[in-house]
This record gives sequence, structure tokens and C-alpha cells, in this order.
Amino acid sequence: MEMPKQAPCERKHNFDEVATGYTLEMALQESRRCIQCKKRNCVEGCPVNIQIPDFISRMQKNDLAGAARVLKKYTSLPGICGRVCPQESQCESKCTLNKKGVPVAIGRLERFLADWERSQGGAAIPDLTPSTGKKVAVVGSGPSGLTVAADLALLGHQVDMFEALHVAGGVLMYGIPEFRLPKAIVQGEVEYVKKLGVNLKLDYVIGINASMDELLESYDAIFLGTGAGLPWFLDIPGENFNNVYSANEFLTRCNLMKAYRYPEYATPIKMGRRVAVVGGGNVAMDSARCAVRLGAEKVMVIYRRSRAEMPARLEEMENAEEEGVEFHFLVAPSAMIGDGRKNVCGMECIRMELGEPDASGRRRPVPVKGSEYVVETDTVVVSLGTSPNPLIASTTPDLQVSKKGTIVVDENGKSSKARVWAGGDIISGGATVISAMGEARIAATAIHKYLVNIDQ
Amino acid sequence: MFEVVDHEKLTHKVHRLRISAPHVARKAQPGQFVILILDEKGERVPFTISDWDRQAGTVDFVFLEVGRTTERMARLQKGDTLAHFVGPLGKPAEIDKFGHVVCVVSGYGLAGMVPIIKRLKEKGNRITTIMQAADNESLYNQEALKQFSDHLLIGVGGAGGGPATALKPLEDMLKNLDHEPMDRITAMASICLMRFIAEATRNMGIKTTVHMAPVMVDGTGMCGACRLAHADGTQFACVHGPEFDAHKIKAWDTLMARRCTYADDSIMQPGFKCDNCSQW
Ligand SMILES: Cc1cc2nc3c(=O)[nH]c(=O)nc-3n(C[C@H](O)[C@H](O)[C@H](O)COP(=O)(O)OP(=O)(O)OC[C@H]3O[C@@H](n4cnc5c(N)ncnc54)[C@H](O)[C@@H]3O)c2cc1C
Ligand SMILES: Cc1cc2nc3c(=O)[nH]c(=O)nc-3n(C[C@H](O)[C@H](O)[C@H](O)COP(=O)(O)OP(=O)(O)OC[C@H]3O[C@@H](n4cnc5c(N)ncnc54)[C@H](O)[C@@H]3O)c2cc1C
Ligand code: SF4
Ligand code: SF4
Ligand code: FES
Repeated sequence: MEMPKQAPCERKHNFDEVATGYTLEMALQESRRCIQCKKRNCVEGCPVNIQIPDFISRMQKNDLAGAARVLKKYTSLPGICGRVCPQESQCESKCTLNKKGVPVAIGRLERFLADWERSQGGAAIPDLTPSTGKKVAVVGSGPSGLTVAADLALLGHQVDMFEALHVAGGVLMYGIPEFRLPKAIVQGEVEYVKKLGVNLKLDYVIGINASMDELLESYDAIFLGTGAGLPWFLDIPGENFNNVYSANEFLTRCNLMKAYRYPEYATPIKMGRRVAVVGGGNVAMDSARCAVRLGAEKVMVIYRRSRAEMPARLEEMENAEEEGVEFHFLVAPSAMIGDGRKNVCGMECIRMELGEPDASGRRRPVPVKGSEYVVETDTVVVSLGTSPNPLIASTTPDLQVSKKGTIVVDENGKSSKARVWAGGDIISGGATVISAMGEARIAATAIHKYLVNIDQ
Repeated sequence: MFEVVDHEKLTHKVHRLRISAPHVARKAQPGQFVILILDEKGERVPFTISDWDRQAGTVDFVFLEVGRTTERMARLQKGDTLAHFVGPLGKPAEIDKFGHVVCVVSGYGLAGMVPIIKRLKEKGNRITTIMQAADNESLYNQEALKQFSDHLLIGVGGAGGGPATALKPLEDMLKNLDHEPMDRITAMASICLMRFIAEATRNMGIKTTVHMAPVMVDGTGMCGACRLAHADGTQFACVHGPEFDAHKIKAWDTLMARRCTYADDSIMQPGFKCDNCSQW
């Protein structure tokens, strides 16, 4: 069943959530569509193997509290995954009903349950295992860090979570915009993890305030979930002109620092009228849609391949198009043009055509000679991707990292350094919330196994 | 929450704050900075650490009242709290035995440079410090600078004097290199002054470093707001700096424009001269 949404003409002018969520009746009706397959195809499609039919069967019996309890067994962040998981390529793509038409809207049901639980005064705190006396440091409070922290706290270990920024949540707070994932929901999940006994230390940068070796003196194990936050640039002339942003800066100002509510919030964001977003992923969609809401007259997405190769979720592209975002395919910027006072006022672009497939299997874009032209723009957001911040690796010589800067781990998330595990974007180089959680869960299991065996 | 342990007004629109932040004090090094947030709706603003006490767990910095956040900070009193305080960020300043080091300071550099000068002195360098201020009232921290410097020169330029007033003593020294060689120059000053110094020493083979303060957001290498064009490729001032080899910095004019992105609009007018810069 479709989920109600704010109309495009309305939502263009606010940062409220676009999809408003199922009502109780809608949720119950959708849950009844599930045929409780013996062979649980849907479960296979979920990176954390949520036992989907089990929570849906309780919904079918009107037992919302029971359903929420089942869900919480597998994920500590259901309100988040239910909103931002690419369900169409995960659980829902494997649902038996998908073959015959429309899959069960698993993500929407999860979202509904999480929101319902919140409306009942928050998640019930499960029984905690008696303390084991073991201490774990979790570095980074994004989805991977939150997952490891919750899992290990539930198993009775003492967990301290360190976060460099002034709020917990990682990309969920600074990257993904309010209108896709309300920040109150993220903070609700953070509060839940804290209630499990996890100590959250904000404004604390590992590699600066404490080195890895110093941490290892006071903790039995460390989990690194520091993400991949270092933005890439185009490396073309004029890229440092005013009003040329990385997507990280643009989104951080807008989401984390709430510049859309300036001056009530003190952080400003300078944006012109014609915004060009360079890139084709979810981050580019988020940047473009933030620009629309900040009041841009024209927002263009400039992508060097064609529509078929766009990595962004289809739903997000459709939302963006409905909100008036223009897509320019097979175009790549070659230089920024300044207005004489170092403000960007245009972008020289070159047209591309698709050649042979590259290593990723997508057809490689090649420039068409002599096709240069100028896109008039006064604000550019560069959204090419990110790589891991080298801070921890550079201050920890015995931690093995790949050429791309990701931490090298084995199948259990164990790094080359004794008592150190890692998961999430720091090992993958950038993926999804749920895959970060999946890797975190594997690492948490391995850490637990290590901790209970120390004394033997 | 981080408590204001002390607040001292040093001169017109210049204040020193002492904050209780043991985890920052424990690791602070000369040349590093902190980022603070006043309250949950506040901006992240960077300040150079001017002193610390590891035992007492306190960190000092000096700030100039220039705009919205710093004007609010001027009203902070002992016992008030800051919502957030993170650091020490950035790389420590390069400290070694160089020989004769000339330190040029203006604005908050009068305070931010002190720990650097102190350590340079301890290493056995001979220090000449050039202080620059718009007028006599704006000079502060003279005692501290004197204490660790072998020579202290003062360049006071009234409104309109511009960077030339600080450059004058430096230019005289550059003409006198045969008698008094110079092994290194390091500057923590307004961006216009640092640019002039970089140009003045570019062809003289004197290693010159500058402490850059571009607009920052996170201060941990995540946003790229602080980026600058550098001979070794794009660098982020918050993680690769803030101290840079002045002769490796490219495109100073772009840097100056970026630094003023959020400044008063007058700064962007074609006829604008830098001597009214809020950081001067
Ligand atoms: C704009 C945007 C939109 C996205 N949209 C989606 C989506 O719709 N669906 C989806 O599934 N995925 C999406 N993603 C990807 C997803 O958000 C990430 O894959 C996921 O957040 C990775 O989680 P993580 O825990 O590994 O790291 P992060 O979320 O990056 O968290 C890492 C945390 O560690 C902190 N940290 C870093 N270094 C240190 C240090 N030295 N000391 C202390 N703390 C440190 C950081 O400040 C940060 O808070 C999106 C990403 C972006 C940027
Ligand atoms: C590494 C570093 C060290 C610094 N050390 C000191 C110090 O020791 N003492 C001191 O007084 N100042 C220092 N500054 C400058 C200080 O951060 C700014 O003066 C302050 O951000 C101004 O804030 P405001 O809201 O009062 O001013 P406004 O003029 O209202 O600020 C408007 C906007 O401009 C930005 N901005 C203005 N000036 C600067 C600047 N110089 N650098 C970065 N962003 C700026 C702010 O982020 C804000 O968004 C330092 C800056 C950096 C980057
Ligand atoms: S966590 Fe994501 S993939 Fe797993 S069931 Fe929920 S929506 Fe589907
Ligand atoms: S595959 Fe679809 S229909 Fe079958 S149990 Fe899973 S959700 Fe229900
Ligand atoms: S301030 Fe964000 S990268 Fe330097």
C-alpha cells in the first residue's frame, strides 16, 4: 500500500518529513497481505536477517507491542531502517509477493511499529544481563557504532561510545536531511542505546584526545565505526571559488547545524538562485532537495553517465523530479568560472558519451571533443563521494589499511591490531545504514566471544 | 558542559577566556585550536589555544569581538557554561632549533602565538617578535610576548595604515640580512598581512610559515570548508594545518575571498581595502 506523502508544491517549502507514514488501519491492512511463507525469502534479503514474518504475524493478530519486541531483537534502529533502507533491492525484492506484483511493504511496517512504540512513551528496556566487568570502547556513533554499543550493553559489557561531533548519530544527523529522516527519531534511538547503559562521550576525538593504544590500556576491546567522511573534490580550476561546496559541508550546515532555521540557529548557509549539484547518488539527491527547500529558483543535477546508471534510489529521484529538480545527464564539469571577485558564476561542462564498461560494470563515460558549453550557476555542490578520514589510521601505525584508506578486517570484522574490530563505512568505503549495522552485528558477536573467553 | 573558569577583558573588544576542559588541556600543543559551541543552537567557532594548565585541566584562548558569536561570548561570566568544546584540533606548530626566528603577530595572534614563541625560545632560538595593531589601545599581551622574545618590535598603524606598518620593521630587517641573518619567519596575523609577508620573502630563500584561519565547520576533516590550494594538492587547514609553508600556498586571492564568505557584505565590494578587516 502506498504511504501518504506531502504534495510536492507544499513540501518544497518545508523541511518536514515527506512521507507521513501509515495510519494504524493502513498498517494492519498491509500486514494482512503477508502470506507467512514457510521459506522465508524476505529474511534472506535483509542484511541483519530480521525475522520479518514473525513480527508481521503479531501485527496480524493486532499485537503491536509483541511485534515491536520481535523487531527490536534484530535491530536497535527500526525507525531509521524503515525509512532509509533501500528495501526495493533488499528485503522487499526477495518477498514472494514481489514475483506476482507488489511486495509486502516491510520497511513501511517497520517504520510504523517504531513510530507507534515512540508514541507509547518510548521503547521498553529489555532485561539486561548482569555485568561481566568487561569494558569496550566504541569509536563513532553512526549506525555501526550504535549497533555494537547496544548489542554489547545488552550482553552485560560496559560500553563507552566516543563521538567527535557535538551530537551522536553520524551521517544520520549530519548527512541525511530532516525531510527523509527526522532528527528527533535518530535522537530517540540514541536515547534508547543510552538507556541500555552506554556512556556517550561527545566532543571526543580518538586519535587526538586519546590514541588507540591509550584506549587499549583502559578497555578490553575497541570497535571502530568512524565512517567515511572525507569528501572528494573534482580537482578542476576554480573549485575553491566562493559558493562551491562539498556535499558534506552543504548538508552539514543545513542538517546538523540547522542553517535552514537561521538566524534562530546561528550557522548561516550562503546559497544563490541557480544551484548545480554534481553527482548522481543519494547524497546528490539530498543536496538538490535541500537546495529546493532553501529557496533556490533552479536546481540542476549534473551527472556524467545516463539515467540508467544513476546510483541514487529510484524513489529519491522521483521525489526530486516532482519537486522540480532538473537532471542533466552525460555531462561533466571541466572548470568553474568566477565573477571576478572569486564567486562562482558558471561552470564549464563537457558532454559525455558512454563507452566500454569499466571495472564496476557500468559503461565508462568518455568526453565528446569540442562539446564544451557553460552552465549558468551561482552555487555548486560537489557530491562525488567520500573516503575514510585518515586521522585514526595515521596515528595508529600497526593498523592495516587498504589503498583506499579503509581498515582491513577479516570475516568477523577483526582488524590487524590486537583487540580492535571495525565495521560500517570505515571498512566498506561507503554503503548503507543497514549494511553498516550488519557488519557491526558480526563484529559485536566476535567481540562478545572474545570477552567471555578472556578469563579462560 | 564546559565551565568558564575565568574571563578577562584585555583591551577594547579583546577578551581572554579560561575554560575547564581537562581532556583538551591534557593534549594541547602550541599552534592547535579548539572549536566551541555556545548553546544547542550555536555555531561551531574555532579559536587558537593561547595557554593551558594540564594539572588544573584548563584551556585559555583570546578572542576578538567581531560578530554574532563573539559578541555573545563577550558577555560570558565566570561560572557560565559552554555547551561544547572540542580539541586540540589541527597539527601542532613546527618547533625546532632553527636559529634566528622572526614572529609576526596581529589580532588574536598576539595571544595565539605565545605558546609557540615560548617553545621556540626553550629550544634555544633567538626570537624577534613584531607586533602589529591598528592603534596603541589595541595592543595587548605585550608582557607575555616580551618575556619570551629577544627583541620586540611594535608596528602601530592608524586606520588606513594597512599591513605596511607591520611590514616596515620586517622590510628593514630583510634589507639588513647580511648583518643579522634570519632563519625562519612565522606569522599568525590577518590574512592580508600574511600574504604580504609571503610575497616579501618568496624569493629570499627564507622559510616562512603562516597560521591560517579559513572558515571552518567541523574542524575534523569532514566538510572541506577550510580547503586551500597548495603546491602538494588541496589541503584542509583543520587537519593538514593550520600552519603552512607560506610559499606553498597558491591562490591567496581566492583564500581571502573564501575567508570573507560570511563576513559583512561590504568586504566583497570591488573598491574594498583590507585595512578595515574585522580580523586586523
Ligand atoms: C547524504 C547521505 C545520504 C545517505 N542516504 C542513505 C540512505 O538513504 N539509505 C542508506 O541505507 N544509506 C544512506 N547513506 C549511507 C549511510 O548513511 C552510511 O553508510 C552509514 O551512515 C554508515 O554508518 P557508519 O556507522 O559506518 O558511519 P557514520 O554514519 O559515518 O558515522 C561515523 C561517526 O564516527 C565519528 N567519528 C569519525 N572519526 C572519529 C574519531 N576519530 N573519533 C570519534 N568519532 C569519530 C563521526 O563524527 C561520525 O559521527 C547516506 C549517506 C549520506 C552521506
Ligand atoms: C584555526 C582558527 C583559529 C582561530 N583562532 C582565533 C582566535 O584565537 N581568536 C579569535 O578571536 N578568532 C580566532 N579565529 C577566528 C574566529 O573563529 C572568528 O572570529 C569567529 O568565527 C567569528 O565568529 P562571529 O560569529 O563572532 O563572527 P561573524 O563575523 O558574525 O561571523 C560570521 C561568519 O563568518 C565566519 N567567520 C568569521 N570570521 C572567521 C574566521 N576568521 N575564521 C573562520 N570563520 C570565520 C563564521 O563562521 C560565521 O559563520 C580563528 C579561526 C580559525 C579557523
Ligand atoms: S532492516 Fe532494512 S532490509 Fe532489513 S527488513 Fe528492515 S527494511 Fe528490510
Ligand atoms: S516473503 Fe513476503 S509474504 Fe512471504 S513471509 Fe516474507 S514478507 Fe511475508
Ligand atoms: S573544517 Fe571541515 S574539513 Fe576543515
